[in-house]
Amino acid sequence: MVRKRNIPAYFWRRLSQLLFFALFLFLFIKTDYSGSDELEYAVNILFRIDPLLALAAIFAGKTIVALMLPAVFTLIFTLVFGRSFCGWICPMGTLVDGGASVIRPPKGTAGSDLRAVKYYLLIFILVAALLGLPLAGYLDPFSLLVRAFSFALYPAFDFAVSSFFTFTYLHAPDWVNAATEPVYELLKKSILPFSHRVYGLGLLSLLLFALVLLLNHWQRRFFCRNLCPLGGLLALVSRFSLLAAQGGNEDCGKCRQCRSICRMGAIAEDRRISTADCNLCLDCLALCPRNKIHLSFHRPLPAAGSYGMTRRAFAGTVATGALLPLFLPGRLLARRPDPLLIRPPGALPEEEFLGRCVRCGECMKVCIGNALQPALLEAGIEGMFTPMVRSRIGYCEYNCTLCGQVCPSGAIKKLALPDKHAQVIGRAFFDKNLCLPYAKGIPCIVCEEHCPTPDKAIKFREQSVVNARGETVTVLQPFVVDDLCIGCGICENKCPLPGRAAVRVTSEGQARQAGRHFL
Amino acid sequence: MDRRQFIKDVFLWSAGASLAIPQFRIIPSVLAAEKPQPLLSVAKGSDYAALVSRVLAPLGGMGQFVKPGDKVVIKPNMGWDRKPEQAANTNPLVVMALANLALQAGAGKVMIFDRSCNEARRCYANSGIQAALAGLDDRRLKMDHMDSRKFVPVQISRGKSLTSWEIYKDALDADCYINVPVAKHHGLSRLTLGLKNSMGVIGGNRGDMHHDLGQKLADLATVIRPKLTVIDATRILLRNGPQGGDLKDVKQLDTLIASADPVAADAYATTLFDLQPADIDSTVAAYKMGLGEMDLAKIKILTA
Repeated sequence: MVRKRNIPAYFWRRLSQLLFFALFLFLFIKTDYSGSDELEYAVNILFRIDPLLALAAIFAGKTIVALMLPAVFTLIFTLVFGRSFCGWICPMGTLVDGGASVIRPPKGTAGSDLRAVKYYLLIFILVAALLGLPLAGYLDPFSLLVRAFSFALYPAFDFAVSSFFTFTYLHAPDWVNAATEPVYELLKKSILPFSHRVYGLGLLSLLLFALVLLLNHWQRRFFCRNLCPLGGLLALVSRFSLLAAQGGNEDCGKCRQCRSICRMGAIAEDRRISTADCNLCLDCLALCPRNKIHLSFHRPLPAAGSYGMTRRAFAGTVATGALLPLFLPGRLLARRPDPLLIRPPGALPEEEFLGRCVRCGECMKVCIGNALQPALLEAGIEGMFTPMVRSRIGYCEYNCTLCGQVCPSGAIKKLALPDKHAQVIGRAFFDKNLCLPYAKGIPCIVCEEHCPTPDKAIKFREQSVVNARGETVTVLQPFVVDDLCIGCGICENKCPLPGRAAVRVTSEGQARQAGRHFL
Repeated sequence: MDRRQFIKDVFLWSAGASLAIPQFRIIPSVLAAEKPQPLLSVAKGSDYAALVSRVLAPLGGMGQFVKPGDKVVIKPNMGWDRKPEQAANTNPLVVMALANLALQAGAGKVMIFDRSCNEARRCYANSGIQAALAGLDDRRLKMDHMDSRKFVPVQISRGKSLTSWEIYKDALDADCYINVPVAKHHGLSRLTLGLKNSMGVIGGNRGDMHHDLGQKLADLATVIRPKLTVIDATRILLRNGPQGGDLKDVKQLDTLIASADPVAADAYATTLFDLQPADIDSTVAAYKMGLGEMDLAKIKILTA
């Protein structure tokens, strides 16, 4: 009788990684209008189970964020199963592992030991968040990942696929199209975005993501070992975890195979496994020639491994986190916020918004009009990647409330449709030097046609004007009724002038900043 | 017919038109005299499915327009993310009944599309037309979103204000193109009716059309030629058009207008708003180009 070969332990870990990555992709694609006003899936769940973002949002807002309570589950999970979240679930970790198979990192313990950096980053992020400088979203692995996917990879994928099928459509013979067109149809209905999307900061987001993968070149899972602040937080918790891989000891002689293959550098010279570093990938279980390593709920004593932090650096980190926020009120934008910084409807007042927003990019991914774009420096350097409406790129669809539905932290409140309709995010202003009926006596009022409020905020008067040829012509000249305008930006978006729009929206009058407007 | 052949044909056809037209250019008054009197049918009723059949009956029924195996395009207005009762889009029951009749007449394929102003998926869904057509459950029925690859450049050789524009291939390619606008208010053109509805099958920056809109719509009507125009006035939008949003601006008329003459259909629909055909620039421009009749006295109006 042939004995069935045992399935190695890491097979289950790989299966889990694949399944969770597939789930991630599924939810990513489902972060889109689905034909009904409400989303069908909790597409933002990844961010809501992230305890780093939850803590940062709670510290910044000094309030419990109920939406992010699922993060407690991750902490409990980690208390039981150690950093297996990093090894089995995290989609960024999966991609880093995937990247390692291409980049071929050096083995085991190579490279200098930088694992303390992630703790410094974590402490710095949390102290700064508490004192008014929100930075968690910059380095959170999920934020990094979803931004790169939303802003860069997905549009590029769409472009590649569409270009191919446009080529076949235009140039290939009919028998080819008979095969390719149904495929394209299927792809459009399943995984491609409904329309071609554009995003600011796409290349930067891609670069940061690529860097995370490329760091594999120096150490396997470099980012997870050394930089990931979420990994740092989970490492602090997993020091007390119940389940741990263990078994190697002095009896192993000269064999250090486990140490040489460990992707997290978690195994010490004496073969004890640090629970703060081990992500339970289970490679060592399968590779140990003497089958000594096993998982056990009986912890080895004392807990192996140290955080590698020094008291001096720790104090320095806390001091930096505490002092940096002091420099924020001295900036220009503290006196004069950028008037083009238009936040999505339902956004909290700016300071609270910045603290709450986790820079995950979900709202920008889901925005049906492609209107929400990552800010560059409009909200200060710490506001990079936060959402703002760029009306010339896309406008805020009157009957859509998706951004508030996907926001994992409540930085954008979920609005009922009547509330959304009444939510002023800015106001439109005409530039009469550009606007055709004013500047050139040419009929237009495309803006008026598109203005979505039932009592139109853009109205017009009939006026006789002299045009460039000296003829007196009658045109309809548009103007804004401030009380009706909600700042959706469709007028600016649809303005047919090729360059700068003749009607532009500014944040004037926005509902969330009470008492600051003259209109 | 394959794509390349089609594009060639479009160019040849455009060029042919430009060559042929001078020979046959006839001044509108002569044209009107020579032409048989245009027929227009009007029907009133609250059962919209039956109303569609009734309004078509005096024109010979759907079979007069759709032949077995035809590629049919039904072009409603579904340009806005508005609900059916808000009267910004064509009544879904009217579109459904027309599609049903076309299918019964043996159409090989019935396509329904519109290049919307608001986000396309929201417009298709919230206009109610998508759900209504899904109810017919016929595989010959296609309500796809517009495909940017299918806009082809077309020479508009008779155009006075518009000499070329990108037009949707499926609209040009149809054996029978049925235009089903909703009659409603519009800030610039005063009303949007059949001719204005053709803007839903053109590509490019449509805002540019607004300069000399009436003439441009007439120019467009020289190349986008519906065999049948059915104007939906089951409810009309009186103010804050073309998208409305306030039910106070909506008036229920339970009326449908049908004609093979696109200008006559628009001219008659104008009267529902207490306006005269001459008040609408596109109607006047199209009439002057000989594309149809706008003089209500010269139109044979059949009340079905």
